[in-house]
Amino acid sequence: MSLLTTIPVPDAFEARTNATFEALMWALSRPGTVQDLPAPGRTGIAEALLDRECRVFCDDPALADRIATFGAALVPLPLADHCFLTLDAGLDRLAQVAVGSALYPDTGATIVAEAGFGTGQRLRLTGPGIETFADLVLGGIAPGFWALRAALCHYPTGFDLFLICGAQVIGLPRSTTIEVL
Amino acid sequence: MTIATLTKPWEAMSYGFLDASAKRELRRKMLKAIAVPGCQMPYASREVPMARGWGTGGLQVTLTLLRPSSVVKVIDQGADDSVNAASIRSFLSKVSGARETWDTLEATIIQSRHRIPEERLRADQVLVLQVPNPEPLRPVEPNMSVARQMHADADYGRLWLILYEQIVRSGRVMQGAAYPSLVNGRHVMTPSPIPRWDVPKLHMAQHLTFLSAGREKRLYAVPPFTRVEPLVFSDVPFQVEDHAALTCHRSGLTGYFMNEIPQGGGGSQFELSDSNLGIKAIRQAEGAEARVGSTWYENGKMPQ
Repeated sequence: MSLLTTIPVPDAFEARTNATFEALMWALSRPGTVQDLPAPGRTGIAEALLDRECRVFCDDPALADRIATFGAALVPLPLADHCFLTLDAGLDRLAQVAVGSALYPDTGATIVAEAGFGTGQRLRLTGPGIETFADLVLGGIAPGFWALRAALCHYPTGFDLFLICGAQVIGLPRSTTIEVL
Repeated sequence: MTIATLTKPWEAMSYGFLDASAKRELRRKMLKAIAVPGCQMPYASREVPMARGWGTGGLQVTLTLLRPSSVVKVIDQGADDSVNAASIRSFLSKVSGARETWDTLEATIIQSRHRIPEERLRADQVLVLQVPNPEPLRPVEPNMSVARQMHADADYGRLWLILYEQIVRSGRVMQGAAYPSLVNGRHVMTPSPIPRWDVPKLHMAQHLTFLSAGREKRLYAVPPFTRVEPLVFSDVPFQVEDHAALTCHRSGLTGYFMNEIPQGGGGSQFELSDSNLGIKAIRQAEGAEARVGSTWYENGKMPQ
């Protein structure tokens, strides 16, 4: 490398969003594994993924204000491509989440929600990213959620789920089959 | 809201060349591509300082992933030292500070045109394949709106028809590269122009694969442990190229994918297509230290 070129260094924003995306990428590639985010909470995910091209639904007013500063439009749930939801109650509105179509599976929404890892409902995952099966214990999610997910997501349509617990994330893509044990 | 919150300090260039909004779009599409393996996701495909069709799709995916601790390997037809591969690799390291390597075992990101390395990829490695034509249905359906409907309906019968016609005309399947493969039992993808030899390496692999077509503005992915099944007839099994018995005239290795070098007298010699594997084998033979990892093919056979 010549003396005239300088070695580029990522600023804090670039380093943080790059690390957040890498965690999300491996979380979705290996459903059920716990990946570490550079910072706790859902704001970092919004920062790494969202901008003026996105339509977002967020049921937490404080987080919604923060997301609006990234440029994303705050829209009603059926129009949103990224949904920041609480899944411990109020599942009736889950049926409104965009699942895309067989023609355009990419229009299925991404849901980001808080959950508790290690306590609660026992689940068995199978599908791409999992060699045989993976067992997972998740809390803070309403009991009917998994049956509702199975009813709403007909592969390749469906929504993709990121569950956050502190600075950790688990990804559950629509391709994963989830059995409640 | 102030001007300061809407702007940021001046920079000569965005880290990793692509600006932040381009990276965010790629990230969103890469996540959707992982969620629906083998399904082509449209993306904007920004301008990069390289002509479309020379690996701009792979380049954009790699640029999105790069960080200073990354180690990049770029291969073109198996070789690290071809002009295209060397230029892409040097560009990647210049814009990101990532380390360059030729060694498959050292790399964290492997960008490739037309080959998957012979050494097994690990769970922490990402393979980025440059794709010229991402649409497996193009030979049978030039209208891409109709092709999209066929993907939606999983209407892939005409792909078998192509294979059938090849068998009728030539006695065997003639499809040498970009062999149509069914991913996760749902979407047929073209695994970029990798030879048939490399297709089984994608099936239930440890590593994550992205396939990106910059000119066609589509990307798709094969996550780890995903079924990738070449289309076959039940009575005509899938066969890789007949290279198991060939020996590389430079390194002496046998049982890998070879380049044929025609000779003056009418015969031909063969050399390893994965050039770095050959280099390591030669170094080992000379007594120098070179670690060769375990390979997908053993004695010219892919263990099931």
